[in-house]
Amino acid sequence: MDHALELRRMPPFGPGVQPPTAVANVNAAPADLATTIRASAAGDQEAFSRLYADYVRMVHAIVLGRVPRQDVDDLVQDVFVLVYTRIRELRNPAAFGGWLAAIARNRATDHLRHKHEQVELPHDVGGGDPIEAEAIAVLDVVRKLPDAYRETLLMRLVEGMSGAEIAERTGLTPASVRVNLHRGMKLLRERLEPAGAGRRE
Amino acid sequence: MDDNYLWDGSRVPEGAGVEIVDIQRLEALLGRFRTNAPAPKLPAHAVRRRTIRAIAPLLATAAVVTLMVMAEWRAVGRLGQVGRVGRVGRVGGATIGLTVRAVEGHPQIDAVKIAETGRIAVGQTLITDRNAKALVDVSSIGRVTVDGSSRVRLVDSREGYHRLALDRGTLHAIITAPPGQFVVDTSSAVATDLGCAYTLSIDEEGTGLLSVSTGWVAFELNGRESFVPAGASCITLPHSGPGTPRYDDSAQQFRDALDRFDTDADSTRRRAALDVVLTTARERDAVTLWHLFSRVDAPDRGRVFDALAARVAAPAGVTREAIARLDRQALDRWWDALGLGDTTWWRSWKRGYPDLK
Repeated sequence: MDHALELRRMPPFGPGVQPPTAVANVNAAPADLATTIRASAAGDQEAFSRLYADYVRMVHAIVLGRVPRQDVDDLVQDVFVLVYTRIRELRNPAAFGGWLAAIARNRATDHLRHKHEQVELPHDVGGGDPIEAEAIAVLDVVRKLPDAYRETLLMRLVEGMSGAEIAERTGLTPASVRVNLHRGMKLLRERLEPAGAGRRE
Repeated sequence: MDDNYLWDGSRVPEGAGVEIVDIQRLEALLGRFRTNAPAPKLPAHAVRRRTIRAIAPLLATAAVVTLMVMAEWRAVGRLGQVGRVGRVGRVGGATIGLTVRAVEGHPQIDAVKIAETGRIAVGQTLITDRNAKALVDVSSIGRVTVDGSSRVRLVDSREGYHRLALDRGTLHAIITAPPGQFVVDTSSAVATDLGCAYTLSIDEEGTGLLSVSTGWVAFELNGRESFVPAGASCITLPHSGPGTPRYDDSAQQFRDALDRFDTDADSTRRRAALDVVLTTARERDAVTLWHLFSRVDAPDRGRVFDALAARVAAPAGVTREAIARLDRQALDRWWDALGLGDTTWWRSWKRGYPDLK
């Protein structure tokens, strides 16, 4: 029996063939994004700085969800340097967000493989600030959520991105982002309940 | 839960409920971790000035000549320590070859042992005995570690596309490239990287296991496809191809039953195994149940429908009848509801890579 998604035999979307969801961010890059990517690929650092500004929160959220906090900023910089050196390999500008996210995930995994002896700073390192300790405890819980929920929630709750922004940057449909936010928040509440962390006083 | 506030935080009604206050409190708590990373210092690009554009044709010609000389030199002259490992760098064609490093023991490229590093050309085979381990640099997009007792052929290698064939043994791939640029053939399935890290093992008969640690891998044979997410595995079998993906943290009973379903030729035993799979699946195992639609016999699709619907509600308009006839749009819509990324993404990457169609 052939697989249901039938990727290999599926015609590309075109006249009379609609994508299955209302918004398909990855199907066509906005003209300005494509232009910025092309300029970055040609070595225009100013153009790349615009990409950085637009996407740094997504990358930061992905990395924060995976590696010790003290390593996050360095790793985010590594990711963007790597992207800058490889951006000419990107054939489809519309895939930029997903491509960048994949690089961030893989770079974080690679980092953990080589730094497995490193441990996260303990919760009380911030001078005994109970709010700081609670924030770190909540972050730990978020980090244990499934990938899709963890990343989306960190983009929303840490980076302050709206659902629409998350969809635009990641290439997910708004519907998928909404589902991830809703289910992720539900799961986060359930996991915070036993410890009482993150609850309203 | 107030989805509007969770969506964009812009609509806070007067006398906001506990749920909104909870979200706001989480925002306040976690907002302290928001990025303030400075922009990185970027390296100089290879092509960055208009003046360079003017002489680009000359530079390109010079580069080609240099590469041809280097390729010939590498292939013929320099390999006293490493041994002759074949012609690489066929400039103007598809073959550029990949660097191989010996990590343990003495891996071979065809019949030549590598002392430290060598290059494998398209058509050549990297061989490790049980004491050897090798690292293959996949251009600038990642690397592959080849464990002992393995045979790996380089099928294709050019800018933006690299293809290996794992005849036997185990490899570990970490790829940071747009989906579809790195492909591994086995005798019973083709693993296409969708931006990920994974381990693939195969024996000489074609029985194998794919385990994904980050990202996704598409595993395919003759149109039968499995999409394997991080934290999940999928077996592959001679003749039948990829099995049904399952999360590694699923219950042992669930995994055992799924293995029986994937491997047992007896229809009665397969149905019994299916019963166990459907009753022991968790909500997280919805991805497994979704794949079962195209793997069970038609009369059993209704049972799979019920099991999946009990864990992830069928989207509006997705009917039992549509699923029974494997209606593509209905399947796509349910996939989208699983929260694993949507089908538009799955397709878009492949359109950028006509070789994969």
